[in-house]
Order: sequence, then structure tokens, then C-alpha cells
Amino acid sequence: MGDIDIDWLLDTRVAIVAGKGGVGSSTVAAAYALAAAREGANVLFIAVDARPGMGPLLGGRELDHNDRVLRKIKGAGQVRGRTIPADQAFGDYLEMKGVSGLLRRASSSASLPMIAAATPGLEHLLVLGKIKELEKDRSADLIIVDAPPAGHAAPFLRSATSISDVVNSGPIREQAVEVDSMLRDAERCMAMIVTLAEETPVTEAIELAGELTIEVGLALLPVVVNACWPDRPGLAKTPAMAARSHKIKLSADAKRALASSATFGRARLERQHLQIERLAAELELPMLMLPRLVTPRLTPHHLGELADAILAPLTDPSEVS
Amino acid sequence: MAATASPDSTSGGSLGDVIRTAELLVTTGPGGVGKTTTSAALGVAAALAGRRVVVVTVDPARRLADALGLDEGAAADEPHRVEGVVGLGDGPDDGELWALMLDAGSTFDRLVREQTANERQAKVILENSVYRAISGSLAGAQEYMAIERLHQLHSSGEWDLVIVDTPPSRHAIGLLEAPDRLVGFLSHPVYRALTAGQRAFAKVTNAAASMFLWAVRRLAGPQIVEDTVEFFRSLSEIEPGLRRRAGEVATLLRADVSSFIVVSSPRAEAIGEAEHLVGALRDGDFPLAGVVVNLIHPLPEPLTAKDRALLDDLGEGPLADHLNWHDELSELAIAEREELAALADLAEDVPVVELPLLDIDVHDVEGLAGLADLLVGHG
Repeated sequence: MGDIDIDWLLDTRVAIVAGKGGVGSSTVAAAYALAAAREGANVLFIAVDARPGMGPLLGGRELDHNDRVLRKIKGAGQVRGRTIPADQAFGDYLEMKGVSGLLRRASSSASLPMIAAATPGLEHLLVLGKIKELEKDRSADLIIVDAPPAGHAAPFLRSATSISDVVNSGPIREQAVEVDSMLRDAERCMAMIVTLAEETPVTEAIELAGELTIEVGLALLPVVVNACWPDRPGLAKTPAMAARSHKIKLSADAKRALASSATFGRARLERQHLQIERLAAELELPMLMLPRLVTPRLTPHHLGELADAILAPLTDPSEVS
Repeated sequence: MAATASPDSTSGGSLGDVIRTAELLVTTGPGGVGKTTTSAALGVAAALAGRRVVVVTVDPARRLADALGLDEGAAADEPHRVEGVVGLGDGPDDGELWALMLDAGSTFDRLVREQTANERQAKVILENSVYRAISGSLAGAQEYMAIERLHQLHSSGEWDLVIVDTPPSRHAIGLLEAPDRLVGFLSHPVYRALTAGQRAFAKVTNAAASMFLWAVRRLAGPQIVEDTVEFFRSLSEIEPGLRRRAGEVATLLRADVSSFIVVSSPRAEAIGEAEHLVGALRDGDFPLAGVVVNLIHPLPEPLTAKDRALLDDLGEGPLADHLNWHDELSELAIAEREELAALADLAEDVPVVELPLLDIDVHDVEGLAGLADLLVGHG
């Protein structure tokens, strides 16, 4: 693999990884962190809505609000990990603003739900604000944000703009403006959309891309097509025909066994191809194909396989047909 | 439809009984496992069994929304008749299928109107800028409104069965905790201090409340303070109603007429969440009626040892493609079945229905009917 292909890996300082529920965006975010560390980067992995198991998957402890090293790569970089609870982000923010004493007590965790209720999107904004601070301090070469799942990624990232509709002045407004300018600056922050090569996930990825670029102003990293089956052109032939080209004669049992998987395989591969084509045509973004792991249960070993795949060359959308 | 997978034969009971007898059906589970499609298919099954059914959904994928007639032109929050269900069934006793896309904001508005003494009082709340900004986003509001709508539809007496497809959530019990969260919000000391027997714009004397207002003013500006106080005060007028309703909903969800179905996929993390949900439903005395596992890879027929020996060292070529594919698919399918065993153990006496990964996205009523057949079996 040439150097040119993986330049995108460290193209920006904050990479926000987002996808609808069930497409594996948390796993892809973790694999991206591991891949960047292998390339020598000091990476900070931030889980916004920490699912249990992400820390161990990366080779360390369960994530919490402490910034901890999860994995050091010999002769290369490292992966650190943490979460950002909204109440802690709020406390940090007040401290940073020099707000102290009474006001801090008044507005610390006990009142946060009340203040948050009065200002929709505030919790999200505080988390993004904390990420912005970490970026400004250059606390890592690359910050990878595992965005909230399902339908929550867009509202999370839109919080800076939507809060401006309600709050016209004061430090929260300032915070929203600062977060907004980070999100619009591709050198500082970009988004990675993760999808599957299936109809509904592709449709939703296309919609998410529109929301993030137009409404939030984010630039996009390569789009990740997760869980791709490897191409098996031989499946186009029947098992008997395929056997002939190997000069083997199959038993009736073997033919039946192979046919039982091939029917399903042909349909899956055809569908996968079709959906990748659609994604390429609609988004015109470079694509990164990650392999389908032959297991329903992910281990650190599998994460390594995915990191290998992240370091592989990108697919040019104009070459998909 | 992909290769065969049949409903689990070892479990007792069936979802067929559930869709014929339940009055409320709540589906819950992690995101991306086909929960909305499953809910819609259960709706079709119930309609074909002669019942008048409404399926309440939050954010259906586009093709499913099309299948249910919930495309963009359709008004949100009102039931629409789903065409094409009649005629698929066995005959004259076909029921009706209706679908409704939940709009948390409209449901909250309706709740406010119901709970206020008059239109003027309702208007004060509905036109408040803070109310307008938060009615759709208040912590747990969407989940709460899903069950609030369920309650409205159930108590209207117009429906034999109301099916609610809950918003996907990593901690999917959010829905069940929503009434408590709303009541918790209303019980917050700051909220109480702001609303306790005071007229609008009266001086707030409580220390915690003054600090809260001070903080909001410092952080978010003065305008929002006025709106917030006014909103909290007007909300307090409907508070008794909100609390009563939260209690009614909590009782209804635990009643015999209600049934919960947990939907999962065979992936370890989804199963972990499903197990968590099953436990939470049992702990909370919510009636669990079944578990549906979607997206299961078909298990190919095995190769005999003799055949396998013959196929050793194939190198590359079309037959190697066949063999590799067969091996990978078998490995994945077997591993998925091992993951499922844990869930089946946990489900104990309720049916576990396993559905194959479909080759196409369900995009019409016929597709849903096919799925319905797999879910509830024939007859």
C-alpha cells in the first residue's frame, strides 16, 4: 500500500464517526483509532454514549471520564480513551470560564437537568465544547469521537446551531459559536459516515451525509462500508460446473451442500454490489470497504483485522460499476 | 426470502396467541435489528386474524414508511389506513391495519390541552417559547409521548390492538422509565421552588431557585429566564394531570392486556442488550410475551468428511470460492446459533421466534404478510 492512500487518516484533528444503529460505527471508530496509532499517532478515543466493552476491545480497561492509555503500539503511537459525561463537561466549562463559588454550586450536577431542560441541546453542546477544548489544547494528534448511535448523531452535531435559536447571549451562546466554527473547519474536524451495503443503511447514510454537510457544515472523511462479504466470482457457476474447472467430480451430497450456501451467497453479493454502486453514485466520496468478520462476537483480535483493512487503499467512487 | 429458518420448535406458546388476545403490544430492542419491520408485520398478522389494529411508530425507514402509507405527504400523528391488507387473508373476517407516525410535539400539545382547564390556559403553555423548544426534546419526552399516545389510543376504544414500536435506545428501558423521569423532573427542588404558590414574576425567595435563575441568566441570557419561569409555572397547573397520567400508564403497561416483545439480532452486543431488557421487563413486572431474533444467517448443509477431504488443497478457482463461502457462512451461522442459545435459556417460558436474514428490504404489505407468516405461523 502506498503512502498516498492513508494520508486521510490524519487529515484532521477531530474525526467524528457516525452511523445509524446496528451498522457497527463504534467498532469502526475503535478500529480507526488503532490504525492511526499503528501509523504513529497519539490518538484519543472519546465515546459519547459509552457502550460497555469498548475499552477492553481496544486493549484496556472499561472507559470512564478519566483519560487513560488503552494501548501502546511498540515503536509507533498509542490509543487513549475516555467518555465525556455531560455534567462533568459542564463543571469543567464553568471552571474554565472562571465561574466559581455560588454560581458553580448552583449550576453543578444537581441543577444541570433543570438548566438542560430549559436549553435543549445543551448537554450535547457541552460535550462538543469539551471536545473543542481538547482539540484546542492539542491533547492528541487525532481525537476520534464515537458519536451517539441510531437517530441521535445528527441532533448531537446540530446542537450548536439549534441552541442559538433559544439562547441569544451569554457564555453558552459563545460556546455554541466556537463549537460551530470548529465543526466548519475541515483542518480541525471532519465526520466519517459508516454504513452497510444494504438498502436501508445506504439510504440513511446518504441522508446523514446531507444533514452533516449542509446543516452542520462538516467535511466528510471517506465513507466506510462495513461488513462487506469478500467477492467470490466462482459462485456464479453451479458447484458442479465449478468443480469441472478444478477437474474434480463432486458427490451428490457435496453438490447439495455447496448449493445450499451458494444460493444465499449469490443473492447477498449481488445486493452488496448494487448498494455500493448506489452509495458511490450518490455520495461521490472515496470509500473504505471493511470485511465482514465471520463471528457475531468481536474480540481485540478482530479489531486488529479491521485496523489492517482501514490501512488498505481506498476505493474511488468513479471506479465502482 | 432467503434460505429456510423456522420458528423455534422447542419453545412453548406462540406469538399467534399474543396477536389474537393482547390489546397493547410494545416492541423494544436495540437499534438496527428490524424492530419497526417486526412491529408492522405483527400488525399485519393481527389484521389478518380479524382485528382492528393500529401500529404506532417513531422513525420508520423510508421503504417501510411507504409500505405503511406514511410517506412524506401524510400528516404526522394521525392514524392512516394501510391499504392492501384485506384480500391477503383467508376471507370475510379480515380486520383492518392502520399506521401512525408518532410526533412527540403534537402528543405533548394534546396532553396539555386535555389537562388544562380552558383554552386560554392551554394557549399560555403552548405559545411559550421554552415549551415550544423543549416539548419535543425534554429528557425522555419522545419515549414518554410514545406511551402517552399508546394510552390515548387504547382508551379511545376504537382499536382491538395497539402496537407501539419504541424508539431505539442503547438502554432501551428508557421508555419504561419515562413516566418516572417526568415525575422526577416535576419533583426537582428547583422546579418546586420556582412554581410553589407564586404568581408569575413574583420574587423568587428560595435560595436554590435563585441560584438556578442566576446561573441560567449568566449562562444563557435574561430572556430565557423569564420564559423558563413562566413555562415552569404554567406547567405546574397541569402537573396533577401529568402525574395521574404517568401513574395510569405505568399500571396499564403492567396489566394483563399488555404484552412486550423484545426484538434482537444474533450479534453478541444486540443479544447483550436484549438480555438486559428481558431482565428489566421481568424486574419491573412488565408482561414479556416473546422474543424475536431477526437477521439470522442460514445454516448451509454440512459437507461430509469424505467430501471435505476431496476438496482439500483446491488453491484458487471457482470451486475454492464455493468452498470458502460455504465454510465462512457455516462458521458464522453456527456461532450465531451458539449466541442465541443463551437468549433462549433466558427467555424461559416465552416463545423465541427466529427469523432469517431477508434478501430484500420489506417494502410492501405483501412482504410484511410474508414476514407475519414466519412470525406467527399458519392458523
